Amino acid sequence: MDWIDFAIIVAKGGILVNAMLIAAAYMVLAERKIAAWIQNRIGPNRVGPWGLFQSFADVFKLYLKEDVVPAAADYRFHALAPVISIAVAITVYAVIPWSDAVEIGGRMISLTMAPDMNVALLVILAMTSVGVYGVALAGWSSNNKYSLMGGLRSSAQMISYELSMGLSIIGVVMIAGSLNLVDIIRGQSAGAWNVFYQPIAFIIFLVTALAETNRAPFDLPEAEPELVGGYHTEYSGMKFGLLYLAEYANMLASSAIMATLFLGGWDIIPFLDDATILGLEPGSLPLVLLQHGAFVGKSLLLVFVFIWIRWSLPRFRYDQLMNLGWKILLPLSLANIAVTGTVMLLLNR
Amino acid sequence: MPKIIIDGQSIVAKQGQTIIEAALDHGITIPHFCWHPALSVAGNCRMCLVQVGNQKKDSEGALQFMADGQPDVAWIPKMQIACATPVADGMVVDTAGKRTVDAQEAIMEFLLVNHPLDCPICDEAGQCKLQEYAFRHSRGKSRFDDEKVHKPKRVQLGPQIMFDGERCISCSRCIRFADEVAHQPVLTFVQRGDKVTIETFPGTTFDSPYSMNVIDICPVGALTSIDFRFRARVWEMSFTDSVCPGCARGCNIKIGVMNNEVLRVEPRTNMHVNTYWMCDYGRLTTPAAINDNRTDGPMIRRDGQLQSASWEEATAHAAAILKAARPQDVVVLGSAHASNEDNYALAQLASKVIKTANVDFIKHIDATFGDSQLRVPETAPNAIGAHAVGVAPGNGGYNLGQLAERIASGSVKVLVVLEDTLDSSSQRLAELAAGVDAMIVFSSKASVTAMQASVLFPAASFAESHGTFTNTMHRVQHFKPAVVTQENVRYMGMAMSRWDKFGAPNDRWTDGTRRNSRAAWRVIRDLAAALGTTWSWKSAEDVFADISQHVAAFQSMTYASLDANYGLVLGKGGQPDPVGTVYESHVLKPN
Amino acid sequence: MANVTTNIESERMTFWERIYLPEIARGLGLTLRQMFRPKFTRQYPEERWEPEGSYRGRPVLVQEEDGERCVACGLCSRVCPALAIEVRAAETDKEKERYPELFEINMLRCIYCGFCEEVCPEEAIVMSKDYELVFGSQDEGILGKEKLLIPVSQLQDRLEFLRQWR
Ligand code: SF4
Ligand code: SF4
Ligand code: SF4
Ligand code: SF4
Ligand code: FES
Repeated sequence: MDWIDFAIIVAKGGILVNAMLIAAAYMVLAERKIAAWIQNRIGPNRVGPWGLFQSFADVFKLYLKEDVVPAAADYRFHALAPVISIAVAITVYAVIPWSDAVEIGGRMISLTMAPDMNVALLVILAMTSVGVYGVALAGWSSNNKYSLMGGLRSSAQMISYELSMGLSIIGVVMIAGSLNLVDIIRGQSAGAWNVFYQPIAFIIFLVTALAETNRAPFDLPEAEPELVGGYHTEYSGMKFGLLYLAEYANMLASSAIMATLFLGGWDIIPFLDDATILGLEPGSLPLVLLQHGAFVGKSLLLVFVFIWIRWSLPRFRYDQLMNLGWKILLPLSLANIAVTGTVMLLLNR
Repeated sequence: MPKIIIDGQSIVAKQGQTIIEAALDHGITIPHFCWHPALSVAGNCRMCLVQVGNQKKDSEGALQFMADGQPDVAWIPKMQIACATPVADGMVVDTAGKRTVDAQEAIMEFLLVNHPLDCPICDEAGQCKLQEYAFRHSRGKSRFDDEKVHKPKRVQLGPQIMFDGERCISCSRCIRFADEVAHQPVLTFVQRGDKVTIETFPGTTFDSPYSMNVIDICPVGALTSIDFRFRARVWEMSFTDSVCPGCARGCNIKIGVMNNEVLRVEPRTNMHVNTYWMCDYGRLTTPAAINDNRTDGPMIRRDGQLQSASWEEATAHAAAILKAARPQDVVVLGSAHASNEDNYALAQLASKVIKTANVDFIKHIDATFGDSQLRVPETAPNAIGAHAVGVAPGNGGYNLGQLAERIASGSVKVLVVLEDTLDSSSQRLAELAAGVDAMIVFSSKASVTAMQASVLFPAASFAESHGTFTNTMHRVQHFKPAVVTQENVRYMGMAMSRWDKFGAPNDRWTDGTRRNSRAAWRVIRDLAAALGTTWSWKSAEDVFADISQHVAAFQSMTYASLDANYGLVLGKGGQPDPVGTVYESHVLKPN
Repeated sequence: MANVTTNIESERMTFWERIYLPEIARGLGLTLRQMFRPKFTRQYPEERWEPEGSYRGRPVLVQEEDGERCVACGLCSRVCPALAIEVRAAETDKEKERYPELFEINMLRCIYCGFCEEVCPEEAIVMSKDYELVFGSQDEGILGKEKLLIPVSQLQDRLEFLRQWR
């Protein structure tokens, strides 16, 4: 690896982290705007045109706020928890296949930090599991019963839903025959997207993704009516901001993964080969850029779905949450694997 | 003994009673304005109209009953006033039937024809008998739509009494009071019909020492107190049962408090002591005695100056003074102004801890103060009690009379004074006391003696603590805390107005003075502890229990039995006097 | 007990309702439609709202040419469920012998229930249209007579509204 490779990696890292933070900030704005529209309101419209700079004002405000640490809190873990949350969220971005690789100056360059990683899917699953430490630590170190309960709920919820999430992916992996995300996308680009083969798995993944990111209707860890703010009750200032951003970063990551696994990744048109239809050279820069746009577009569409669901559905009760996870989603995902396997065996693929 | 039936209830009345009295003895209150048990019967308000009859008898003299078992009554065609109709055997009275109710409603309508209904301005509102009856016994509507009669308002009948002619319902209670109780017959009705009003005879003024009682008995707000006018509404005050400290009669009173300030005092019925009245002196001086010129926070004399100190410092300082002195050089003065509890604690301190026999108290006698009614020459409330709990020279000790000479001869080193001021005994004593080495004073008032102290303990006044006074007729009477100190935000069971109860620190009505004072018995207990003797008293009630155990005269007395029996006489703790019927004129009053 | 009919919600639901997903889709459809409906947000500081006479804004005292109507009867203070009102009475030489020497409403306590207005025997305290109440400190939130007294001419709407209901 020479210094140019190194520089490219650093540049990619810089771009990704900043893009992610800005995206997260704008997702907060989008959330507020969409919530307002659903409630027949206008939403933030005072800072900048159409309220476009609202997010920056919010972040600026959070920076200026006093950072209060409860007297009885364990301040080291209290400070560590938001760092874990945001770090884990960023790490996932390293393996998301943002775009296909293009050849520039004899180098294959793609926006992905770690392209062609053969265990990318496992990395993602592992990282989401680590993410729960951030929340659990935040809840525990605050030394507040509500925070602790939020943290506990979060761990229980993650453990329960992780199983179904992992199992729902297996169908996709079986079809693709690889854990490499790029391979999975390539497998879909020519033929049908996985969502058509694996509709049940898609729904299971969508539901578990909501649960894993603590989004409504699975936002029990921060259920305001009963737990005040849940695990982040005792957070203020930018520490709170980090926990908040991590939530949105996770949401975007989940959406991107869903787009990868089920919606054909950067494939623009389902069932057909993009390059032939658009008459562009495969692997050429314009095509790759178009495909990158498609990928981002699909991810953002899913983000919209996340937000839309939040402002439409009421929160589950805790027992309902557990019932759904263990009694419905888990058997369903197991059945999905069995059916997929049987069909594949019969078709002799 | 005539047997009568009131509202279906058979009653054995006393010979010569009127219907209203017999009914009251058995818990039935017949609406009335002009009748008062302590006054002659005037029978001019007609509010007490009831239906009266006799049970029919047949020719053999057997009582007749109706088909439903009710007595068959021959009603007297005209209704009778219950306050002036004597009971007779076999009488049947109906106080709640249709005719009676109609009559009551008609009378109320008449009384209100010319009544201004300026309740929003009237001080009586909230405890007014007319309001009460308008609520209970009237239709709530008037058919009178002409101009009401206008009469003089704001007429001063005496130095303390303001009269409003329009509100007067001409019951004549005030006139009869002036004649029969105050023995100053200066009030009279003038004019007649709906122009009738009340005046003093020319050249006279109603200034009897008991004049303000007419304010209490006036069923409406026609007579108001110039001293109190408009200071608060009744419902804004809390009323706490207490005992007047003005003289040794110990009239039973209620202390009206708002924002921790005593606004007024009014008599409480106790048939053994003051019946329904109290004197103007007690009424006017008691609030000031509690509110004004008080000590606040313990003080120690340093470099000739009294300086603030903590309770611990002051107690330690006083203990050091007492430890350094020889017992025979210490003189302990109890007080006729302090409660039995405080005096007992002090007597115990003197005999058990300091071990001095030089114990006495100052007597306060003012022959000009006494009269033939309530006021007695003994102007401190608890001389009998102080003596009874042991504030008296012990074996070989010397008394107050010898004190001045002893001080002059230099044989007094330490003077302990409870709740009294030496200049009230003699000016000379006060001057001599300045020469004593050390003076430990427990005082609720910033008196001359308090200012001379080496250690000054601010004692809680009788309105800030539980305690008992023993009056001139040897009756032990319980008083309760009406205002709070800095330490006690409230006591258990304390009467508090809505304001005082629910005010938050940023509400301005909670800014009343809270003094840093403690009941003297408590300070004495702590002082004894600092000198090595521990007493287990936690409350004034504990001290009183100790008294009733160790002092024979107080045997089998408790606060509860004192309250239930309107006080108990020394030596007769086990045999209470019968309480009888306790009449309160105005029952609408809160608390 | 034999013919007790169960009437539990879940047992009355059809299969599709129980599967829940179609209902979720319907819910999402509803919110999606709402997004395109006209908004009713008011751009507050620029667009102000003038309340009707029936509006219960901050309680104020009616002022007439010769001073306040209030006679300091203390009824409003007694009825106020939030203990927001403090009245201290004093004597005057006017025909109405009594006037409020001090009249304070703690707007941090007031809950705008209007009981004070309802109980007042003199129609001396009424609810105004003033809804813009901002205080920089707790003490500022306690309004005294100087802030409470409003000339009767400015309160006509409310007084007329009240007359309808006497
Ligand atoms: S006397 Fe009684 S009824 Fe008459 S104005 Fe006063 S409070 Fe009202
Ligand atoms: S002033 Fe009062 S007590 Fe006297 S006659 Fe009139 S109503 Fe009765
Ligand atoms: S109720 Fe009316 S008259 Fe009475 S104090 Fe309140 S505002 Fe004044
Ligand atoms: S509106 Fe209600 S809460 Fe406010 S001052 Fe009047 S009575 Fe009290
Ligand atoms: S009470 Fe009997 S007439 Fe007045």
